[in-house]
Amino acid sequence: MNIQVSREDLLKQIGYKDSPLPRLLGMATDMLGLLDNLVEPRQAFREIQDEKDLPAFLRGAVLKYAGAVTLGPKLENKAKDLFDRGKPAEAYILDVAGSIAVTKVSNILWNEIREDAAAKGFKKGVRRTPGCRGIDLETQKYIFERIDEPDLGIELTSSWMMVPRKSLSFLARFGGNLKGSFSCKGCKQYSDCTLRV
Amino acid sequence: MDIIKEIYDAVMEGKVDEAASRVQQALNAKAEANDILDKGLIAAMDVVGEKFGEGELFIPQVLWSAKAMQAGMDLLKPHFSSTDRTEKGTVVIGTAKGDIHDIGKNLVAIMLEGSGFKVADLGVDVTPERFIEKAVEVKADIIAMSALLTTTMPSMAEVVSLIKTKNLPFRVIIGGAPVDQSFCQEIGADAYGMDAADGMRKIKGLLGR
Repeated sequence: MNIQVSREDLLKQIGYKDSPLPRLLGMATDMLGLLDNLVEPRQAFREIQDEKDLPAFLRGAVLKYAGAVTLGPKLENKAKDLFDRGKPAEAYILDVAGSIAVTKVSNILWNEIREDAAAKGFKKGVRRTPGCRGIDLETQKYIFERIDEPDLGIELTSSWMMVPRKSLSFLARFGGNLKGSFSCKGCKQYSDCTLRV
Repeated sequence: MDIIKEIYDAVMEGKVDEAASRVQQALNAKAEANDILDKGLIAAMDVVGEKFGEGELFIPQVLWSAKAMQAGMDLLKPHFSSTDRTEKGTVVIGTAKGDIHDIGKNLVAIMLEGSGFKVADLGVDVTPERFIEKAVEVKADIIAMSALLTTTMPSMAEVVSLIKTKNLPFRVIIGGAPVDQSFCQEIGADAYGMDAADGMRKIKGLLGR
């Protein structure tokens, strides 16, 4: 899987809208140059066919999925190494690039799930991540039990965090009542959220 | 050009080597260490913090400036006696129990150090007891806690509760994506930092500096 992060997206995410310093442009280019060797994207999804312990978000859906993606550990290890070597700006820029990359991988997986759902006759669906409205973090356990893919390389901590940290998981539902689907626009931090690209 | 102004400019522009060489030059010329610190390094870093808060500068630039200030501080420290103040205060910082996200906390720690604070960084997934233990050990002024997720926020309240129960002198500042002023008031923390610049401003306010 080839994940491309553009310098423009990276600078925008850091906050620059125009005329970044040449020094920053150079650093952004350098960090993006590292991405190819640091990102090892993996993804998995499964259709959920049983009703056991069904999270509230999936109740009433006709077609249900659990999915997760990760960039692997190399990127965050490199960012830590840069911090430890007194290069916090580089570490920060690399971390931001990783956040953009994992979002892109997640979107690729979401498209695959939508194609799978479309083949089964469902066009409209919604996905939601643990920690978002209506899905508590404990749902991670449910998601990863359903995915059941050891090669994915994601482990859960006792507080349901994913390791590697540059990972994303979600539930998706198609059919049934889709009311109440999550929208970032309702969030009070919408205008300056650093988690959106 | 005035050497203090050159130090100020080097920090403003985040030029680490230049900041260090200008501070050394100033020391060689018998400039007062206090002037170098107050009118050069700290004055510049204060402006950097303000510009960051106003959205004129972004995190990489603040980090460069913090590094430049740190380089200057390292050269200045031997010129202050143990009774002189070289640090603005001591901050114990960490990510709340159960939370492993540290990029924001790391940035704040670096900015605090760059602004002249002594920082004890406890890392991630820090228990309330560990925050207190370290704060006692280093005679901290402030305990700063970060959380990325709502589920890890309750442990911030536990730290505040421990401080009150044990009648300890530490002030508490909290920050992170899900945290806000109302949560700060709810748990009885002393301040909420909306971002790193706001956090530094609040910490300075709490310490009256």
